[in-house]
Amino acid sequence: MARALLLLRIARYPPLPAPPAPSHPRPLPPLLRRHAPSAIRFAPFSLPASSVSTSTDASSDGGGGRKGGEEEGCGYVDYLGMSDEELMDQCEMGTFKASGPGGQHRNKRESAVRLKHRPTGIIAQAVEDRSQHMNRASALSRLRTLIALKVRRPINLEDYTPPVELLQILPLKSTVRGKDVGPQIGPNNSKFSPGMQALLDLLFAVEGSVSDAAKILGLSTGALSRLILSDDSLRTAANELRASKVSRKICAVNIYSLTGEYHITHSKHYI
Amino acid sequence: MLSLALSSRPLTFLRPSRRKPTLHRLLLPKPLATATASASALTPLTPRFDPNSTSGPDPDPTPLFLRPANHPVPAAALDAFRHRAAALVPPSAPHLHHQLRWLLADAIAAGDPSSSDTALLRAPLDDLEDMWQQHVGCRRPFQYVVGNEHWRDLVVAVRDGVLIPRPETEAVVDMVRKVDGFADGWWADLGTGSGAIAVAVARELGPQGKVFAVDVSEVAVEVTRLNVQRYGVQDKVEIRHGSWFEPLEDVKGKLMGVISNPPYIPTDDLPGLQPEVGWHEPKLALDGGKDGLEHLLHLCEGLSLVLKPGGFFVFETNGNKQSEFLVDLIRTKWSSSFHSVEAVLDFAEIKRFVTGYRR
Repeated sequence: MARALLLLRIARYPPLPAPPAPSHPRPLPPLLRRHAPSAIRFAPFSLPASSVSTSTDASSDGGGGRKGGEEEGCGYVDYLGMSDEELMDQCEMGTFKASGPGGQHRNKRESAVRLKHRPTGIIAQAVEDRSQHMNRASALSRLRTLIALKVRRPINLEDYTPPVELLQILPLKSTVRGKDVGPQIGPNNSKFSPGMQALLDLLFAVEGSVSDAAKILGLSTGALSRLILSDDSLRTAANELRASKVSRKICAVNIYSLTGEYHITHSKHYI
Repeated sequence: MLSLALSSRPLTFLRPSRRKPTLHRLLLPKPLATATASASALTPLTPRFDPNSTSGPDPDPTPLFLRPANHPVPAAALDAFRHRAAALVPPSAPHLHHQLRWLLADAIAAGDPSSSDTALLRAPLDDLEDMWQQHVGCRRPFQYVVGNEHWRDLVVAVRDGVLIPRPETEAVVDMVRKVDGFADGWWADLGTGSGAIAVAVARELGPQGKVFAVDVSEVAVEVTRLNVQRYGVQDKVEIRHGSWFEPLEDVKGKLMGVISNPPYIPTDDLPGLQPEVGWHEPKLALDGGKDGLEHLLHLCEGLSLVLKPGGFFVFETNGNKQSEFLVDLIRTKWSSSFHSVEAVLDFAEIKRFVTGYRR
């Protein structure tokens, strides 16, 4: 029985580097390539000491993501099932470096938003919209995608049944997909993220084997591959996950350096 | 300095002296007091525009995005404009490149120039060229150039003579929404300007709720009317022309809340403002008199008369010092009238707002 427990923690949280010069675009994962580089500098987040841990001791890490980790399926916070407001409550909004008195003094669209999800340390930001309100909405939806891609929840393969949010993103020909599940949800739908998260959880539990996962989901390997390929960020995450499965003896460490602005360490513990 | 202002000047002297500005005055670009008075490093020594030339404020006050789309333009010409316009601003100013994209987003009605031969624009290319030049050359605020500001989930029409709503102020609406039973109360937005707050609050209200949008400026009343109509909240927003509480005699003691983003910049600070603000935005909406407190104090004084018991107020201020001063003042001088008075931070962690409840 492979019960995989993923630990997400902030390995280090460096001061933000200057944004990349437009003439030298950094090679970014596809999800982040869409973001315009931000020229706005954010003041570093000030976090309570418990939220940021550079220690390797799992139990000292803050956040609710692994509460009750002894028994799978209980106590793992379903972040994506939260309403926008609940999720927002778990976030800190990056503050703008106060470059002056602000308010009526200024005419500058300082509308960029940077959200830091405290329990996981995941950061999402948006700068491209014309109002702060809209940027917040964009950042929040981006945060949902990043949570789906980065937060792994353990699965007990012996009595696994795919959750409904996963069934909803499967093609109709899946044999485990009941008729009452409704039409297939695609990557542009906001409900795709929870399904994507559940799919990655499963892939993680089966050591990245697409064919094993396909069997469980009642699909051909080809059909599941096509699903994974239908979304760039899902494909990237699945590939990274498979690559990181090479060694499973020691806690493999896989550092994602997404924007050069933050680093998240994934450690896998096998019980 | 703030306490001096209070002790040396009885509060009753701090009546607002809001004269009705003529439209003509408001539409002219603001002259500089002296060229050397501008403290900002960004400020060129002399403005690069001639107030008498035709490239001043747009003769057509209709916001670009609301104009009819009747200017077909070859995609290649549009593309050439895009490159010319981008070349006018340095790559180190990404906000200007954003704005260029937004200018085109407002101007292009149909036809993605990358996929078709012709784009349909809401203004001739020459006008767009002129608009861009006004912005990057004459420092005319981008929002006046295109005639709108995206604020919360609204596209608020603005024009010369009304304050451009600021991103900080977006938070005011969230504070109002947290007030118990806000949806069916009567609210007043004093000095509504473009009407942004009034419209945003009105959209959250229930069937009984209402906002009185008050402004002394005729341009503001006109622009507010446009924004109220565009969002179809005519039955929720009642526009009243006049200074602060004056047009609210008939609703005294009936208001669930008073909202205001009054002029709060100390008069002495006006010459040093960023050109987009100091040269172009109405002094009427910026100048808070000595210490910037003139109108804020007047508002605090009138509050208890218009609010019903339990009523809420939120004022935007110049920041930490003003907010602290006002919180202190209300807590000591009017402690019998108000409770839970506090300063609230904006997204830059400046104490931007003062809020509280009437007892």
